[in-house]
Amino acid sequence: MKFAYYPGCSARSTCAELNEATHRVAAKLGLELTPLESATCTGARELRAIDPVKFYGLNVRILALAEREGLPLMTICNTCTLNLLDAHAAVCDDALLLGEVNKQLRDEGLEYRRTTKISHFLWVLYEDIGVEKLRRLVVKPLKGLTVAAFYGCHITRPPGRYGFVDSRNNVALERLATLLGCEPIDYSGRTECCGFHTAAHDERIAIKLTGQHILSAKQNGAKTMVTPCPLCHTVLDSFQKEIESDLGQKLDVPVLHLPQLVGLALGLSARELNIDHHMIDFDIDV
Amino acid sequence: MSEILQASGAIDARRLGQAENADSLRARNTRIAIGDPVMIKVRRSDDGRLQEFLTPYTKAMRVLDALNAIALKDAPDLAFRWFCGSKMCGTCAVRMNGREVLACWEAVEPEMTIEPLRNLPVIRDLVVDRTPYERKVASFEPWLTRTVPYPGFPEPLSHRDIKNASKAIDCISCMSCYSACPVIRLGSLTDFAGPAPLVQLGQTALDPRQDQRQVARALSHSGIFNCVSCYKCEEVCPAHIPIVSGVIEPLKAKVVKLVPQMARHPLAFRAVVARRGRIDPGELILRVQGLRVLAVIPRLIRLLLRGKINPLRTLLGFKTSAAGAATRILNKTESSS
Repeated sequence: MKFAYYPGCSARSTCAELNEATHRVAAKLGLELTPLESATCTGARELRAIDPVKFYGLNVRILALAEREGLPLMTICNTCTLNLLDAHAAVCDDALLLGEVNKQLRDEGLEYRRTTKISHFLWVLYEDIGVEKLRRLVVKPLKGLTVAAFYGCHITRPPGRYGFVDSRNNVALERLATLLGCEPIDYSGRTECCGFHTAAHDERIAIKLTGQHILSAKQNGAKTMVTPCPLCHTVLDSFQKEIESDLGQKLDVPVLHLPQLVGLALGLSARELNIDHHMIDFDIDV
Repeated sequence: MSEILQASGAIDARRLGQAENADSLRARNTRIAIGDPVMIKVRRSDDGRLQEFLTPYTKAMRVLDALNAIALKDAPDLAFRWFCGSKMCGTCAVRMNGREVLACWEAVEPEMTIEPLRNLPVIRDLVVDRTPYERKVASFEPWLTRTVPYPGFPEPLSHRDIKNASKAIDCISCMSCYSACPVIRLGSLTDFAGPAPLVQLGQTALDPRQDQRQVARALSHSGIFNCVSCYKCEEVCPAHIPIVSGVIEPLKAKVVKLVPQMARHPLAFRAVVARRGRIDPGELILRVQGLRVLAVIPRLIRLLLRGKINPLRTLLGFKTSAAGAATRILNKTESSS
């Protein structure tokens, strides 16, 4: 199975361990990833708001690069995924916009024909690998590992993109965790916001919001958390010391990137998955 | 077309849980039949406890029907607000099982906890005080001020010109989004105005006829960059207004034009991407926070020790393999809005 691969900026900088773990896990799963070397940032929330036409330009260019390879596009970041899905939908709905955006790409000889399928790693596991094959590949079921799934926002909202009346009804991560042998726990933070998108100018929002989510995960018995988004991971893991100071109590909850949790069950070691790069040590025997 | 492309394949992994959790009106309606008991737990303000009531399910029963039934029979002192009963007046919003709904429009659940909206003072039981919202909206000068005389009917407005303002006008001021907003929930930590007041502002600020000085005055005390883009507001909006993408984001674009000193973060983000092709978190933080970055030095050291940041790459201004394309697209000069 071949995919064009778009890790996004975070997995190439502050969460580089995610990028490396994804490559290792992809090899185990039989996914052949073609990185799009010249792919830019998707614009996160900032460019998207302040310069929509150029935001579409950057995103549609990424989709056109994948289209040129003749491959579906796999992502590993919630916000990148939503940006690419939104850009695809916008140029599908508005031919004038598509023309305007394609004009920006003409210098490179690119033209988007609206055929790229966009899929997050989480969805690839269900739709392309398939539950049966994945079950066969699990050589080391993660028995006894209680895990709190942290979805983040942009993989389950807005309702217009994913179709949930109530985004709390999403069970993709819990079902996957069960398949890997873990025991998913229920807690109040599952589909709540980590506050990452305001953290560059005021991290107090992220610290206050995410403190409640980690605390709830811990109080409900989670030994670890798992997230499909490196931006959420940054707040959950890299900010956890500041969150502890704000709450006035120790949390010490390790947080895994989704491909790392899958990798553990596929028999890769914590070191091979770069889990030792996280700020909160994952010293659980699995 | 986009839906077909994105949902191909045997399983749609984007929607796992919709079937088993009855995430649609039709699925919910099949779980309850006429005459079945409906268990209603209502948060009472006298003592803060949940009071339980039972009422039989009637055809197409809404939350408001259930509240009226128990008010007639068991709890004549239960306070709740409603007027039109048809999704127009916006007075009956409550939280049902942790989600904001219009009582007049929402189908009952076999078991439901009904609570007042959050983030507003409770007057009694399910009735909240809307004053904080109304004060904020008034401070935004929510009226249209023309800068040129009325040109006569029909006004020369295109669909694209008025698209976002016309969506904002669908707002019924029910306060569901204000209750769902996690940043408003943090109280005075930020000066964020909240989704509902920003939608009211969008009705005039996103109208091309509006006096831009008036828009600038409103935006300058909106705290709009404290929106975390979680889409909780869009999820609960009974009028289906795209609050984040169709109101808050276009308003942020207005801030960049009218009050650019407020937009330090997005402008720095744009500059970093335009130069390097991808985000360098170190440069972004330095540009946005300046000397304030000294306060987070302990974390930077921890990040450095775990190999999560690369100060050399930040300080030497390394460009990525995407820099050429980003510079070309972002630095093109034609109009961008």
